[in-house]
Amino acid sequence: MKSGVQSRAFTLPKIHSSLLKNGLNVYAVSWPELPLVSLHLILPCGAEADPQGREGLADLSSEMLTRGTQQRSALQLAAEVDGLGALFSASSGWNGSSVYISGLSDDLERLLALLLEIYTRPAFSPEEFEQAKQRRIGQLVQQKDESQIIADERFQQILFQGTSYAHPVYGTLDSLPKLLIEEIREFHRENFLLPGSFMVFVGDLQPEKCFRWVEENFPSIIPRKTPEGVFSPPSLSGIKTRIIDRPDLTQSQIRLGHVGISHSHPDYIPFEVMNYILGGGGFSSRLMKRVRSELGYTYGINSSLEPRRYPGPFTISTFTPTDKTFPCIQEIFSVLQSFLEEGAADQEREEAVNFFTGSYPRKFETLSQIAQRIIQANLHGLGLEYLSAYPERVAGVSGEKIFRTARQIIHPQDMLAVVVGRAESFRRQFESLGPVEIVQ
Amino acid sequence: MKGIPEFSEHRLSNGLRILIGEVHSLPMITYQVHFAAGSRYERPGITGITHLFEHMMFKGTHEVGPEEFSRIIQTNGGTLNAFTTTDNTSYYENLPADRLELAARLEADRLQNLRLTDESLETEREVVRSERKLRSVNSPFGLLIEQLYALAYEQHSYRWPVVGWDYDLKNLNLEDCREYYRIHYAPNNAVVAIVGDTRTDEAFKTVEKYYGHIPSQPQPGLTITPEKPQRGEKRAVFKKVSQVSVFFAAFHIPGINHPDLIPLQILCVALSTGRSSRFFEKFEKPGKAVEVQAEMGYPPFFSMDPGLLQIYAIASPSTSIDGLEKEVWEEVENLRRQPLPGEEMKKVKKQARAYFLQGLQTLFFKGLLAGLYQVRAGDFRAMYSLMDRYESVTAEDVSRVAQKYLRPENRTVVTLQPVTQKEHEDLGEVE
Repeated sequence: MKSGVQSRAFTLPKIHSSLLKNGLNVYAVSWPELPLVSLHLILPCGAEADPQGREGLADLSSEMLTRGTQQRSALQLAAEVDGLGALFSASSGWNGSSVYISGLSDDLERLLALLLEIYTRPAFSPEEFEQAKQRRIGQLVQQKDESQIIADERFQQILFQGTSYAHPVYGTLDSLPKLLIEEIREFHRENFLLPGSFMVFVGDLQPEKCFRWVEENFPSIIPRKTPEGVFSPPSLSGIKTRIIDRPDLTQSQIRLGHVGISHSHPDYIPFEVMNYILGGGGFSSRLMKRVRSELGYTYGINSSLEPRRYPGPFTISTFTPTDKTFPCIQEIFSVLQSFLEEGAADQEREEAVNFFTGSYPRKFETLSQIAQRIIQANLHGLGLEYLSAYPERVAGVSGEKIFRTARQIIHPQDMLAVVVGRAESFRRQFESLGPVEIVQ
Repeated sequence: MKGIPEFSEHRLSNGLRILIGEVHSLPMITYQVHFAAGSRYERPGITGITHLFEHMMFKGTHEVGPEEFSRIIQTNGGTLNAFTTTDNTSYYENLPADRLELAARLEADRLQNLRLTDESLETEREVVRSERKLRSVNSPFGLLIEQLYALAYEQHSYRWPVVGWDYDLKNLNLEDCREYYRIHYAPNNAVVAIVGDTRTDEAFKTVEKYYGHIPSQPQPGLTITPEKPQRGEKRAVFKKVSQVSVFFAAFHIPGINHPDLIPLQILCVALSTGRSSRFFEKFEKPGKAVEVQAEMGYPPFFSMDPGLLQIYAIASPSTSIDGLEKEVWEEVENLRRQPLPGEEMKKVKKQARAYFLQGLQTLFFKGLLAGLYQVRAGDFRAMYSLMDRYESVTAEDVSRVAQKYLRPENRTVVTLQPVTQKEHEDLGEVE
């Protein structure tokens, strides 16, 4: 049963790790291909911790770290970072927040010192805060013109209603104006070096030296209890359609799906293999073959499951000219139905497995990619052994397992459809599937 | 220099050029075929054929079925795609190192034996029209940028979009495709770039085995009408439903081989790269604008013929676009009048070099550098001196190119004017 393309002599880059006296776990990979380093500080607290009505708090708190320290104004800090030719950002995802800096290995000590300064001595200046907030509001106003973003956001908003995944990480036009600088300060203080915080360093560096530097310079993690999140998205019953009416568009954006499974779910890898066959494998996938290659309805269609600590969205995404909107949805349902009835052919299974095993080394090509693999394995509770065991686990997914996973996890009869486009042109057709709601 | 391997160059008797760079960090390779076929070689009436034809290259040969190419590469652990620009069409596969022969065999096969049918053309025509709607018609600024190019260029073929005009896409026929294939898809019009965990002699022999017998074709000998110098500012207004006001401006600049391009790129870095850049500090940070950028592409994506340096600004909801535009030109004027101070010059040069180095992390980008410098500049070796050229730029160079190219007379501006849905409808269908 086991198969897979065996990459010639690929071994995972050696990941050095150390639990330091200050309680920080540090992972380091020496990768001297280029004179560059990539440094990441990760806090296990992301947008899922945003309180209701305060959406965007985690991410804006992260951004404020980049807007000056107690020693340097925002401009001085930016000039220092740019002067090193470094890349620099602080942001939040769903399950964690990160401070990232990457630059030339000759500047390693200065980059480390900057990382420390940025995180431990932020200025949180009220003036900078207002500027950051206004800029973000301006960007959100502009995003109202982006039909792809509208479709993604609305889809997740309805799917995860009542949970911490229902809002954009970035915040909303309702929540952002209400946020106060005091809340940013408090968020930073409360979540400062939470237990579970860790660092990842990759590049032209010596791991032991990095460990020593962090141990000597970084403050200690303060042990405390972190609240356990509760996650219970609403259940879907039947096919529900929400149309965001945009009469100016000539093409509809379509999102179709439901809540999936978490990254640490035992069936996550079988789901990945299954999804490659269904809609994740580009031209090898059934959705692409039917909807693009045979019918020419769209330039692109895919299905995906976002890896998150709690179950992320399982989404089929595409776009199609207005007059093809409903025929396109019908074809998607038809592909889903036949896939769930027939399962995958042996050849399809083999091709999917070969793709994942053969392309695995490329997931470790750049410094950021190597770091992201380590970060994700840690944040999602998978453990580092996940990285080395991955190819073998993929190869062990049987055709029967693919069939069972698909039938257990995908439910075409209970799905949410979000369409951004000219409602009048296809509203009635969608009513044949179930309730339709139109919003402006 | 560290990061770019020493490429070896080979030429087959049919004119195919092969560039091979050994990099042994991962057991992977990138296999790329770059054709000197871009929208610059098109003419009115068949705009978009280059890009549509790129799609047709995946529709199968006598031996490989439609879309089979992708399936075979992926099932061998590879990823693949293709892209069309104004100056080149490129196909690539990123694969486990021991699958080089597979890529060579499949690429050589579709270079000779492509199966072009009415049926596959009809499907792909609709796919491309959907792509055009995605990237241009329904994207916030796509049509605006099309208008910018159409206005800035009056004679040169850069004036139409790579994806082509919808009317032309609807009318292209199989004969046009066959003609395009015959003229442009010849070994003497292509460069194969291979980078990764391979041995040069073996890689060369593999390529020779599959391509050696393919006959060369007479050079197309197409006329590319050059653009004449602009003699005064050109302006246009574009009306559409939009939440924001925006302007896009363009200045004519020289092509890839001109020495002024590197100082111009340094100038763009000073204006809008990083949070200490002039535009960020003056417009984005205080919330006057959502975004203000100066850009002209980066190596190896500088255009073959004289291109455009674009400056665009998306105004914040509370900012007037006219006032913002005026302030942006004042900032540009400052740069024309006063050379960059020493510290700033040092900073932007280091940024340019460090970002270039960051890009060199992938085999794919290394292959693009070699392949596209060969196609666009006529010699891949030009890439080796990039780091030194960034280093040798002086503040006087930046000032000089600012004065020479960022003149109001050399400027084209298109402003987006938001309208209501009713006004939008009264203007007629966008397409």
